[in-house]
Order: sequence, then structure tokens, then C-alpha cells
Amino acid sequence: MDTKMILGLGTGVLFGFALHRAGFSRCGIVMRGLALREFTMLKVMLTAIAVGMVGAAVLATFFPDYAHLKVKPLYVGGIIVGGLIFGVGMSIAGYCPGTALVGLGGGIRDGALAVMGAMLGSFAFILAYPTLEPVLIKPMDFGKVTLHEVLGLPHLMVALVMASLLMGLVFWLNRLDAQRGT
Amino acid sequence: MIADNLNAPTQTATTTAHKKGLPSWLAWGGMIGLVQIFAIATVQPLGVSTAYPQLVGYLADKIVPGFAQSHPYLQKIGVGIGWETMLILGMVLGAFLSRVTQRRSSCGETCENVPSLFQSSTARAIGAFVGGFLILFGARLANGCTSGHMLSGLAQLALSGFLFGASMFAAGLLTVWIGTKRSQA
Repeated sequence: MDTKMILGLGTGVLFGFALHRAGFSRCGIVMRGLALREFTMLKVMLTAIAVGMVGAAVLATFFPDYAHLKVKPLYVGGIIVGGLIFGVGMSIAGYCPGTALVGLGGGIRDGALAVMGAMLGSFAFILAYPTLEPVLIKPMDFGKVTLHEVLGLPHLMVALVMASLLMGLVFWLNRLDAQRGT
Repeated sequence: MIADNLNAPTQTATTTAHKKGLPSWLAWGGMIGLVQIFAIATVQPLGVSTAYPQLVGYLADKIVPGFAQSHPYLQKIGVGIGWETMLILGMVLGAFLSRVTQRRSSCGETCENVPSLFQSSTARAIGAFVGGFLILFGARLANGCTSGHMLSGLAQLALSGFLFGASMFAAGLLTVWIGTKRSQA
């Protein structure tokens, strides 16, 4: 194993441990979240995004050598259609690709089944890619665009504003949860 | 409010093991953010769903030699064991370690508390498998999942992440809403 593989394994262990402790090994957390019944899923997700957002901007601004960013291209068709398929799948499984693995590691049957379905889904996509690529992936590709580029504002500034907004939303959701006595 | 339409009991299953200190969601959400910063500082932002076809392609290539060569998608993403595949193996291991070191399970079977449609174990099993299929197919079409597009994409302020998040939540909320209506009919 080279250094990169060891780093991948270590990062995965920490990520999986944290997701498990946050309650993502079971499908209920996602299902309740999408039913807007309680907001643990959103609170964990948005907190993680806010912390990562500030961290990524700080790295990019002050330590560019350590900012291994990887912005994904904005190809409108594939992202919308893929996102819709993903949303339907996530709401009936109660898992996303990452939390299914956490369910598997946590010994939950449904997580293991979701991982199996996911393997089959990736196999289907490998076969479907030549058909889908010219229709949904190649056209309407706007490239790797970010919010701060579009706005023409400093990365760190936009990140701090967005992260504050996200945390504001998180604490508002937390108040809703508290009012419902959860 | 959609939430009031659900028949299931409303007590929820937060996994807060301790009443004092940081709430569980804040502690572990913040921890995932720190893991993200570590990943960016060392190799690349967190992303889970690419590793699935990489692993599937790797296995298929072992069974049918030349499989990876003859499929354009596998040529594009590359098959084999690298950072991404080690990440997903690590996640399974990390969840396992969390489970075996947890002092007591704060969440038994009864606290699953899912929408009424999924209270039957068979329904959940079918949902998990079919949903699992859809999340990977959708994630590969969109070039990312909750990790790559949301945790990482939004953290980098990528517009692709915002678009993915919007369409995913729209479809997810709508599916649950329709499911809830149907199960009450």
C-alpha cells in the first residue's frame, strides 16, 4: 500500500466512525429527514458542509499548496436527471452511497442490501454510459464554476457568509426540533 | 405540515448518548467537517460514489478479462484500488469500530421510527435494494453523490453541488410526500 491508499483508509475510518455515531447506519434518519419530521440529517450535513466550507477557503487562501480542491463540472442535464433519480432512491432506501456502507459496517441488514443494490446500479451505469453520455453529459456543460467566481468576490469572504447562513439555518432547524420535543 | 400526516409515533431516535456536552449532531457534524478538511489538505475532497463502479469494474475485470478495457466509463474513471476504494473500505471499518466500541446501543429496533410505508421489514428490504440501485445510477449520471456534490461540492461553493442538492431534495421530498399520501389512502 502506498501513502495515498493509507490516507484513504484512515480518512474513511474517521468518516465512517463519525457517520455511524451521528446515527446514519439506520435508514430512519434519512426517511424522517425527508418527511420533515425531524432534522438530524440536515443538521449533521449542513454543519459538516459549513465547517468544510470555511476550511477549504482558508486552505485555498493561505495554504494553496494544501488545497487539493476538485470542483465538479456543471453539466446541467445529467446533474438534474441524476439528482432526481438519486433523490427518489435515497428516499425509498433511507441511505446514500456513503451511509449504506456505514449501515453495512454497523451490521444493519438494510445497509448491506443497499450496498448490493448500489453495486448493481453502478454496473448498469457502466453499461448505459455510452448511450447517456452524448445526451445528458456532453451538452450544456458549463465547466467547473463556483459561486465566488460567478459573483467575482473573494473565496474566503463568500465562504464565511455562506457558512454563517448555513449555521443560522441549522440552529433554526434545531429550535424546530426542540419545539416538537424531540 | 407534511409531518403531521404520518401515522407513526412521533418520538424520534436521536443517538445522543449523553445529555450534557455538545449535542450529538453538532459534535459529529463538526467532526465530519474536520475529516473533510483533512481530506482536502492531504489528497482530495471526500467522495464516495466513484469507488463503487471502480470496485465493480475491478471485480468484473477479474471474472471477464478485458471488461475494463472494453467499457468507456471504466476507462474514464479507471478501475482498481486507490484512494477512493480505500476510503469506502475504511468507512465500513470505521462504522464497525464505532459499533463495537459503543458502550450501549442508544438505538434499538423499536426506535427505527420510519414513515408508515416502511414499517414492514420486507418493504424496507426491497426499498433498500431498489433505492440502492437508483442512488448509484443517479450519482454516476450526476458525477457525484451526497458526499461528492453536497459535502464537498457545496463546501467548495461549486454551482454543480447546488444544482444537485436542489434536484435531489425536490425528488426526495416529493417521493416521501406521495408515499405518505398513498399509504394513507
